[in-house]
Amino acid sequence: MNGLSLIKVAWRNLWRQKRRTILTLISIAFGGLLAVLMTGMQDYTWLDVIDSTARLGSGHITIQHPEYIDRPALSRSVTGTDEKRTAVEGDEDVKVAVERASGQAMLATAHDSFGAFFIAYDPTRESDYTLEWTDRVLSGQLFDQPDSDGIVLGGVLAENLNAELGDKVVFTLTDKSGEIVTGMERLIGTITTGSSASDAGIALLPIDTVRNVVGYDATESTQVAIFLNNGRRTLTVSERLDKLIGGDASVLTWDEIAPEMRTFVAMKKGGGIVMNLVIGILVAAGIFNTIFMGVMERTREFGVMMAIGYRAKQLFSLVMVESGLLAILGLVACAIPTVPLYLKLKETGLDMTATYADLGVLDEHGSMDLGGVGLDPVLPFGLFPESAVAIVLAIVGATLLAGLYPAWKAGRVDPIESINVV
Amino acid sequence: MTNKIVEVKNATKVYKQGSVDVHALRGLDLTIDKGEFTAIYGPSGSGKTTLLNLIGALDSPTSGEVLLEGQNLGKMGRRKRSAMRRDRLGFVFQAYNLIPVLSAYENAEAVAALKGGSADARRKKVMALLQEVGLNGMEDRRPHQLSGGQQQRVAIVRAIASDPAIVLADEPTANVDSETSEKLLQIMEELNRNHGVTFLFSTHDPRVMERAHRLVRLVDGKVDSDERKEIRQK
Repeated sequence: MNGLSLIKVAWRNLWRQKRRTILTLISIAFGGLLAVLMTGMQDYTWLDVIDSTARLGSGHITIQHPEYIDRPALSRSVTGTDEKRTAVEGDEDVKVAVERASGQAMLATAHDSFGAFFIAYDPTRESDYTLEWTDRVLSGQLFDQPDSDGIVLGGVLAENLNAELGDKVVFTLTDKSGEIVTGMERLIGTITTGSSASDAGIALLPIDTVRNVVGYDATESTQVAIFLNNGRRTLTVSERLDKLIGGDASVLTWDEIAPEMRTFVAMKKGGGIVMNLVIGILVAAGIFNTIFMGVMERTREFGVMMAIGYRAKQLFSLVMVESGLLAILGLVACAIPTVPLYLKLKETGLDMTATYADLGVLDEHGSMDLGGVGLDPVLPFGLFPESAVAIVLAIVGATLLAGLYPAWKAGRVDPIESINVV
Repeated sequence: MTNKIVEVKNATKVYKQGSVDVHALRGLDLTIDKGEFTAIYGPSGSGKTTLLNLIGALDSPTSGEVLLEGQNLGKMGRRKRSAMRRDRLGFVFQAYNLIPVLSAYENAEAVAALKGGSADARRKKVMALLQEVGLNGMEDRRPHQLSGGQQQRVAIVRAIASDPAIVLADEPTANVDSETSEKLLQIMEELNRNHGVTFLFSTHDPRVMERAHRLVRLVDGKVDSDERKEIRQK
């Protein structure tokens, strides 16, 4: 459209039906807002779940014996763990690496006995970032040294064992050579993980105590748990560390260790994508209606334009530019309510306490149990940069796609049919 | 050098209307020379519209030839015909058919702008033509801010601003009152006289026929009579 600016004409065309255009912009804005809310809840919630899984399990990345994942046993240990830990902590993405020994144990008190999963750790190296329940002590205290005396139990497990602080707890496990060995410690504290199921089966021990009982040397453990600054970089970092460590140990990611959690997160993310698609289709249908109606109403005008010398390509371009402008305006309209709401929710999170309480999924500590992982009912909120880009592209893409057919129709107008030309 | 702008040679046009063949043109011959001011008239269904559609490169004949400045329009592809309409043809419609979102000036400039060339020269020319047809000071008005006669004057400037070989005018006075009609015809006559613009009207309006220099009557898809006024006046 030489001389006359295509954008200028398209812009004016857009405002020929002000009410319709404004309603379309509102629908784009609403669709975008919904997409941001949906995705914002998903992105950071699942990142939080992954971090919790890492804290409850063995880090975002774990160094362990190659056969431990299929046949976990204390006999399948990793040696030279202090060197390995020091090596991986040199990586810029690694926040901290800790040595742990974990496995199954039978716990007994004077009153009862229960099976449990124990984690033996070095309290001088762990923090609430690596063991999230270090600030969730129900009674007593945690250890302060790797060779401290005592045992800490999940609150529910302690109740089941009918154990009070100071009571003797005997733990029986299989040592490095496959022999059954026993240790005895007094209960010094109880904790909650945020998950009742986990609270009923978890025990904490100082790592040197376990090393002594099972016959490990001072630089031997079942895992080196590696925690990253950003859990989303797990795969990249694990590939790097695999090359760094290599040899006799495996470098595994959290989702290889906990495939059921990976499946769950993937399912939920898939559900979110489907929801966003539905929103996108509904919004695109609205946009299509606006543009298509606009073209149909201008059939005569397009016929005249064709008659006086406009080419089909120019009419196609005109409608596509109208769609493009609608997309840009839609983004602006979307940003007006979305940005302030997003910033507010990013700061406060989305408090679902009342809803979850009504649904009866909160335990007595106000946490939710997700496959043994305790979750805060105040959902963290935020968009990953790529999600924000995807939403913007989806809005622009949906608008342009919605304009394709009407634009094609505009370019196919038959002047003779559309106007009684001469 | 030939003076012939349009040559229609033994043109037929057959439409399908359901299962029935409608013979709109039946071997029509017509030649329009440069600078003519011709009116085609005839009863409804005589083929006026079909003939102008063919000359306007909007349709192709079923048989025969339609030549514009020696080029066979029937053998041209869609793009080439579109270019011919833009570069060599001007259209004035019964219902003005200005583009509502463009100002009077932008409408008047539209076809010339499509053709390209110097924007300054184009602006000077369009402004001069708008002044010539009495629209001085109304350049920025949108079509809905103009009367029917004013809109038709803009349409006339749009049709001639690109220097077409011929302007095809479909009942250009049908939607205006008699005073406006006279004014429009006067404008077109002056443009024909002063700028040598060739006009071909399709009309029922006696005022148009009165002013036309040549009258072609169509009946049943053929030329029934073809009179040049000078000859008739003699």
